Amino acid sequence: MSIIRETKWALLELFPEQKATEAEAEVAAWNKIIADARAKAEAEEAAKAKAAAKAAEKAGEKTEAAEKAPEEAPPPEAAPAEETAPAEEEPVPEMDPEGDPPVSIEPESPRPLGVLVRDYKARGVHLDVLCSPDQVVEAAKLLTGAGYFLESVTGVDWIKEEQMEVDYDFNRTDGPLCRVVVRTRLPRSAPEVPTVSDICPGAGWHERETHDFFGIKFIGHPYLVPILLPEDADYHPLLKDFTP
Amino acid sequence: MGTEKIPSSIVQFASLDKLLGLGRANSLWPMTFGLACCAIEMMAAGAGRFDLARFGAEVFRPSPRQSDIMIVAGTITKKMAPAVKTLYDQMPEPKWVIAMGNCAISGGPFKVECNYNVVEGADQIIPVDVYIPGCPPRPEALIEGILVLEEKITGKRRWPRVEPT
Amino acid sequence: MTEPILCTPDETFVLNLGPQHPATHGVLRVKLTMDGEYIVEAEPVLGYIHRMHEKMAENGTFAQFMPNTPRMDYLSALSFNQGYCMAVERAAGIEVPERAEYIRTITVELNRISSHLLWWGAFILDLGGFTPLLYAFDDREKILDLLEHVTGSRLTYCYYRFGGVYNDIDDEFITGTREFIKRLRSRMPTLYHDLVTGNIILIKRLKDIGHISPEVCRKYGATGPVLRGSGIEYDVRKNEPYSIYPELDFDIPHYPEGDCMARYMVRMDEIEQSLRIIEQSLDKLPGGPVQAKVPKTLKPPAGDCYAAVEAAKGTFGCRLICDGDKGPYRLKLRSPCFSNLSLFGEIAEGMLLADALAVMGSLDLVIPEIDR
Repeated sequence: MSIIRETKWALLELFPEQKATEAEAEVAAWNKIIADARAKAEAEEAAKAKAAAKAAEKAGEKTEAAEKAPEEAPPPEAAPAEETAPAEEEPVPEMDPEGDPPVSIEPESPRPLGVLVRDYKARGVHLDVLCSPDQVVEAAKLLTGAGYFLESVTGVDWIKEEQMEVDYDFNRTDGPLCRVVVRTRLPRSAPEVPTVSDICPGAGWHERETHDFFGIKFIGHPYLVPILLPEDADYHPLLKDFTP
Repeated sequence: MGTEKIPSSIVQFASLDKLLGLGRANSLWPMTFGLACCAIEMMAAGAGRFDLARFGAEVFRPSPRQSDIMIVAGTITKKMAPAVKTLYDQMPEPKWVIAMGNCAISGGPFKVECNYNVVEGADQIIPVDVYIPGCPPRPEALIEGILVLEEKITGKRRWPRVEPT
Repeated sequence: MTEPILCTPDETFVLNLGPQHPATHGVLRVKLTMDGEYIVEAEPVLGYIHRMHEKMAENGTFAQFMPNTPRMDYLSALSFNQGYCMAVERAAGIEVPERAEYIRTITVELNRISSHLLWWGAFILDLGGFTPLLYAFDDREKILDLLEHVTGSRLTYCYYRFGGVYNDIDDEFITGTREFIKRLRSRMPTLYHDLVTGNIILIKRLKDIGHISPEVCRKYGATGPVLRGSGIEYDVRKNEPYSIYPELDFDIPHYPEGDCMARYMVRMDEIEQSLRIIEQSLDKLPGGPVQAKVPKTLKPPAGDCYAAVEAAKGTFGCRLICDGDKGPYRLKLRSPCFSNLSLFGEIAEGMLLADALAVMGSLDLVIPEIDR
């Protein structure tokens, strides 16, 4: 099973609703694959039988040319039917249950909580998770348990929406590549999110840095003091409304 | 801050001072004090190709107590400024300061509107004798800076000035 | 490794290492709680050279941030150039011509060698040997000459552009690079390995010192030679291929020991691998343009993207968030040394002070890149 698919299903544990709909879609896709495979096999069998019959006929008599014409007519009819079927099947290779999941459709903003599969070439990440602040720890646990490590933590100040965003970038060192970004949105007036530094100790410094820059409080962080700014700094320079 | 400003003994020995100045100028001991990018060019100036030793200034001392010049090679931030000041105060007289690179001169590329952390020039906290522009200056520029400092100490230039071609 | 010695708090004392210390390679400060010669607790204190790169990125256009990238990690400046360029190219959907990718690879690998050479010289200097520094700088100057010839600067290169490179390479550069490869190959075994690597003093100072287990690396997100010195074969160039690396044949050196010697050997082997990469890229160098047609003012669509490259010290990542304007809305620079240093507190416990300096040197720290 592809690592992206595996991680996606692991992460969907956090979002039961999306998981239900995705599972339904998956079942439908499976059913379609099975049905298509069956149809294809039947069509092939029929074609084979026809060819055999034809060969037998050819071997038998070549005299009646008039009768051949109506017999040749059905294949052109069947051929378009077969051609249209693969056209409909086009998304099927993407739904290949062993391969990578298909890229999700860009949701309308504001984006609902859940897991999105991203186009790696355009975005540089495979999975994009938006969760509520209290799900962050759970997501970090899931991912570190699945062999991921935390690469960086950062904040974004969405001043127009009165929100702050915290991004956690996860990556893995073994096996095939899969980059996961976990995001969460916080109210700008009281940006607080539980720390993940007890799960990934490396997050400790990243969270301190994010606290320096944005004033985001990481609840439960053992040592949330300025790291890059002077010890007595009481300003958060990367806020959009900051003036030195 | 050159020799002329240093309060010497009440009785002045002009010739002796000159002799001392000559001695000092010919063996300037810089402090091993790198802040950022310029420090690498400072190291390159001390290494084989540019060989600062030709001008007697290759003895980089790790301690301010043993140094004559402080080469401020890099950006001074607000957090670092007190440490730079302390290091300067720890150096024995007579002492000189070279501001190497644009950051040490004026804040360089970091002198921006949103600047919240960079001190805009070493001369805001310590007196500077020679400024060497560049980002970073080439090792040749550092050598020229040291020659200019020598000139400042002794009053005359020891080495011929190279005209730009 | 030495076991930590337990003691009552009143027997310990605090020792400040830095911010001005010859062995911290810049303005890093480590607050050490010592019990005699042994470290009880080590806490790196950062921020002495925090230069507001991320804030400056938000206040300018995409191109205006370009000169900031080499000033973060001035030793492997081109990797940082490339990381930022790749992020912007990804966001704006710019395709880089093939020749430009080859030139990028050649120059970035030359830069990697020069970074490793400087690390090598400075590391041995930390351990008390002065002469190797002069050898390393001798070879490094050759690289700087080559790079200066094409980029125009010695150290803080700003050579890559969105969609290509600023300047095409010429025959002089190519022949010079080939000569350099020959020269370094002839010097590596004798000057570098016979004189230093096999030296009993160096081996005594590095072997079995500063063990970093793969678990610790993963916990702290360490990458680059530190991770490979712990036996994990991870390199962005292989695991997340970018540019033309998939077409080239090279190995990822990795040593399972996890001590300072392993990290030392990884870097020494990487020099040889970089030479191989340069050689192959020069052989395969295609013709064509070196710069794609890119609009003067870039306005990538709103959204965010991530790009990672293998810098000399580890994974350099750029998270670029655009809002459809002329400049980044937010640019997060994930610097490798930041994560590599964050594990120091854990491994330094119970270590001798002299060994801690060897370990710090083996992490290959560049402070402006940690503080950004």
